[in-house]
Amino acid sequence: MNTVLMDNRPAQAQMAPAIAIRNLDFWYGENHALRGISLDFPTRQVTGMIGPSGCGKSTLLRILNRMYDLYPGQRAMGEVLFDGRNILSPGIDVNVLRSRIGMVFQKPTPFPMSIYDNIAFGMRLHERLSRAEMDQRVENVLRRVALWGEVKDRLNASAAALSGGQQQRLCIARTIATRPEIILLDEPTSALDPISTARIEELLDELKQEFSIAIVTHNLQQAARCADRVAFFYMGELVEVDTADKMFTAPHEKRTQDYITGRFG
Amino acid sequence: MTKDVMMPQESMHTVQSYEQELEQLRSLINKMGGMVERQVAQAITAVVEHDEVAALDAPEMDPHVDELERQTEALVIRLLALRAPMAGDLREVVAALKMSGDLERIGDCAASIARRAMRNELLSCPISLTGLHSMGRLVQENLRRTIDAMDQRDPELARIVWQSDTAVDELYVSLFRELVTYMMEDPRNIGPCTHLLFIAKNLERIGDHATNISERVYYSVTGSILPIIRPRGGTFD
Repeated sequence: MNTVLMDNRPAQAQMAPAIAIRNLDFWYGENHALRGISLDFPTRQVTGMIGPSGCGKSTLLRILNRMYDLYPGQRAMGEVLFDGRNILSPGIDVNVLRSRIGMVFQKPTPFPMSIYDNIAFGMRLHERLSRAEMDQRVENVLRRVALWGEVKDRLNASAAALSGGQQQRLCIARTIATRPEIILLDEPTSALDPISTARIEELLDELKQEFSIAIVTHNLQQAARCADRVAFFYMGELVEVDTADKMFTAPHEKRTQDYITGRFG
Repeated sequence: MTKDVMMPQESMHTVQSYEQELEQLRSLINKMGGMVERQVAQAITAVVEHDEVAALDAPEMDPHVDELERQTEALVIRLLALRAPMAGDLREVVAALKMSGDLERIGDCAASIARRAMRNELLSCPISLTGLHSMGRLVQENLRRTIDAMDQRDPELARIVWQSDTAVDELYVSLFRELVTYMMEDPRNIGPCTHLLFIAKNLERIGDHATNISERVYYSVTGSILPIIRPRGGTFD
């Protein structure tokens, strides 16, 4: 009797989570950035992560594909279980991991090459495809991100010539081209106008049929619109995680309530 | 049910004008509450004491209550559009909209009672008004406590008042039986008794609207809902 709104999503609770984080701690040198995080990312659902700047949400996203490996002095402890293995363990092939867990950043980051090659680049690293197969795959992913109609006549033009929203959809296309299982998005629409933002959000709805998605956003309305579950982080701790309905109508924790109603000062 | 009750937040919004608008909304609802409380008191006085001034007062306040309801609705729409309230704020804003509707209906019921109060059939009526009097007092008391719960954002008080409407239902059913008996005894009683029945029905409706308001207060403050089935008193079987 604690919720008003029904949870109408299909029962996916029994399905194993795409990623299960257990007792995760993370340090930037001396700075203890994440403390004892345990969180599941359900399969084929959108998990939104919210919280003030510096709360650790982006750090968590970066751990999920071992981006922190690139920087000395950063270390993680605990477990991040993906497909039965702890991705923090040294034996993990980071390149394979990153092809299975794709990432899209805040600012669109198209490679300085043609639209076509932006998509083909990642596939060439992981697969050997004929020209016809490659053409087909490029077309398929561009259609999936609803970009095909806008670029089909200029596939060999530079990706830099696209608008910000188109570039971001191109980056998502590039990410899904290698057929990952999980897509991580770090504030993917913060540099985009409302129409481009709506297109990306619509795309997320479509992509979650196939992929598990984690999105970090500062836009609470966006988390409310896109996410099935929402996790609130504050000062390196996971304060609360629940369905978006529950989080935005009746959160349990006072800190969550204060943050999402704009009372943190 | 109240174990995970989230108590009213003391912290203020970072955006002060938002805080002011919520404050304005609370004050509109409180003002409306005070006004309909007085309307109901006047309506009951008019019936029980045949007070002509009170009988005129309740209907005259109606347009003012309606105006407050319109202002509440306009402010709620503005808040929803411009502030996109979340969580406790969202619940409070939606509750205000719904409570203003219930308060306005309470005002209508009070006006309707007052309009009947000074009719000749009732003034010369030999029938005892004791039952109606106690029902009126109880409804008035419940309404007062409901409005207190609303003003003080007190979910526990809201829950208690919500439960105590059963007594109003019981009084209504027994009054109904009593009046039907009078009508059967003497057809000349049909006129005054019909008016008294409508008055009793309006009091019972006021009680129901008050329970709706209690439900809104409870949900707005705690985020939990009271059971859909409310305890009811009295039966016509």
